[in-house]
Amino acid sequence: MLKYTIRRVLGMIPMLFLISIVVFSLAKLMPGDSLSGEIDPSNTDPQYISEMREKLGYNDPVHEQYFRWITNFVQGDFGKSTRYKIPASEIIAERLPNTIFLGMMSLLITYVFAFFMGSFAGRKPYTLGDNIISTFNYIGLALPSFIAGVFAIYIFAFNLGWFPSNGSVNISLEPGTLDYWLSRIHHVLLPAIVLGALSTASYTQFLRNDIIENTRKDYVRTARAKGTPESKIYNTHIMRNSIIPLVTFLGIDIGVLVGGAIITETIFTYPGIGQLFLNSVTQRDYPVLMAVTMLLSFLTLFGNLVADLLYGLVDPRIRLD
Amino acid sequence: MQVNTVKETRITTKAVKGSSPWAIARRKFLKNKLAMTSLGFLVFVAIVSFLAPYITTQDIARVNIGKMSLAPSSEHWLGTDKSGRDVFTRLLYGGRISLIVGLSCTGLVIILGTIVGAIAGYFGGIIDSMLMRFTDFVLTFPFIVFVIVLNAIFGGQLNGLWILILVISFLSWGSVARIVRSKILAEKENEYILAAISIGGSPFKVIVKHLLPNVMSTIIVQATILFATMIVVESGLSYLGFGVPAEIPSWGNMLSSANEPDVLQGKPWIWIPPALAITFTILSINFIGEGLKDALNPRSRR
Repeated sequence: MLKYTIRRVLGMIPMLFLISIVVFSLAKLMPGDSLSGEIDPSNTDPQYISEMREKLGYNDPVHEQYFRWITNFVQGDFGKSTRYKIPASEIIAERLPNTIFLGMMSLLITYVFAFFMGSFAGRKPYTLGDNIISTFNYIGLALPSFIAGVFAIYIFAFNLGWFPSNGSVNISLEPGTLDYWLSRIHHVLLPAIVLGALSTASYTQFLRNDIIENTRKDYVRTARAKGTPESKIYNTHIMRNSIIPLVTFLGIDIGVLVGGAIITETIFTYPGIGQLFLNSVTQRDYPVLMAVTMLLSFLTLFGNLVADLLYGLVDPRIRLD
Repeated sequence: MQVNTVKETRITTKAVKGSSPWAIARRKFLKNKLAMTSLGFLVFVAIVSFLAPYITTQDIARVNIGKMSLAPSSEHWLGTDKSGRDVFTRLLYGGRISLIVGLSCTGLVIILGTIVGAIAGYFGGIIDSMLMRFTDFVLTFPFIVFVIVLNAIFGGQLNGLWILILVISFLSWGSVARIVRSKILAEKENEYILAAISIGGSPFKVIVKHLLPNVMSTIIVQATILFATMIVVESGLSYLGFGVPAEIPSWGNMLSSANEPDVLQGKPWIWIPPALAITFTILSINFIGEGLKDALNPRSRR
């Protein structure tokens, strides 16, 4: 397992290197350069502009520019945001906890809901309850997150007033107090449910089908023949076998959350990495854009890595090849 | 697989002898009420959208200040939006764009994915590993992030709609390539392929005439799922403001007005129609996909 892990982790490095080249080339291809943000906008003297271009290294060969960027990048210097005039790393550090908080809440909601709905539907398949859950699942799988989000705001935030419709916290509250954290949870709940709906539906469906499949297996028949109580068969024997494959979904979820966060954060105007990414594209804030794109790519790669490692952990046959 | 199909045929269709797998699939599909209703709905949406110029005479582009944000009435069935444009008219034209983008992306993705997957699976060896490494590489990009970045770069240069279609397709063929490759790998082990090669069939001919027809059912089911996904992708991107250029009406563009709190809260007739149109279209495509999957699977007996 250790050898497999090391090989998979090392395999990420060339991928990250290739992605960094792609990200850099794309940023270079984008219309205009970040120069416009670095210099004094009132000074339009062509000589001043060309001097600044030379000083900032925009006239160097492309590969030199790339190596300068990547060297600084791996040392944690992502460049200075052309819009906010502060280091990109600071902006990201300010936004990242919000996105992680949103992702964690969404995963938590997914696990709790999927566990209860899936085990219920698997235990009593083809009953009214199962059919209701299946309908919910179908809606969860088919309804795009942005439509679900818009309807959720309309119904739960505006008409019922249960949740706030935007932001990550009530700004009048003192950070660190209990009220502050309650307000954060209150703000994150609706986006997290919307973000987790898709995963919840697929988890539930998977758990249900797996439990039904397991009921027909020999070990369950043996347990029944021995007179094991039905609840113990479901809660101990079957649940242990059905939960394991679900573990491997965690890695895929990280990738789904990265993509989903961009959309969900925009709908709920939630100040996280996804919203920062979209703003940096619109405002042509290249240092931030490049850093966030690298971060999101890294998270996706990390998700794939986690998925592979968990597969290896659950199914020893995969480790061999 | 082949034996299995024949056996199932005898079980399911006692009266009709020797119908082809396609005929069986067609009959199964026609009997599936949910899928047929969905197909009817989808055809209806497509016809109404493509005949939009003949159905309504409203101008989609003209801004009419005197008629801003009107509630639904007999003159404007679904009301007007903030620029005074008729929502019903825009819904029809928007459907046209959303369906065109969805269909074009699906077509391109299926063609690209099938070509790469078939070549990799058929030739194997170094060609296979090179193509699959490239596929893996494309698949590692976070999809939404790179669609937005690429679209921002190239968006202004050509007709924005086609750039969007190309960008989406270029980033999504990977999964189709993987599926087609695995199917081809399994299928080419059959003896009829060996026979086709040994009588001198060129690789192109073997792939097109012998292998592809046998993986076609998988490709068709994939295409249906993709069609729904692509409509979601298009409308999602347009909703965020990074998809179809804002001046072209599409369901996603219409829905993006829901980003303004006063529209979302007080003028639901502007954003609910496109939201429902997207939802029902996707649902119906999914039901058709399920129906096709069922119909093309020789083991299902419904």
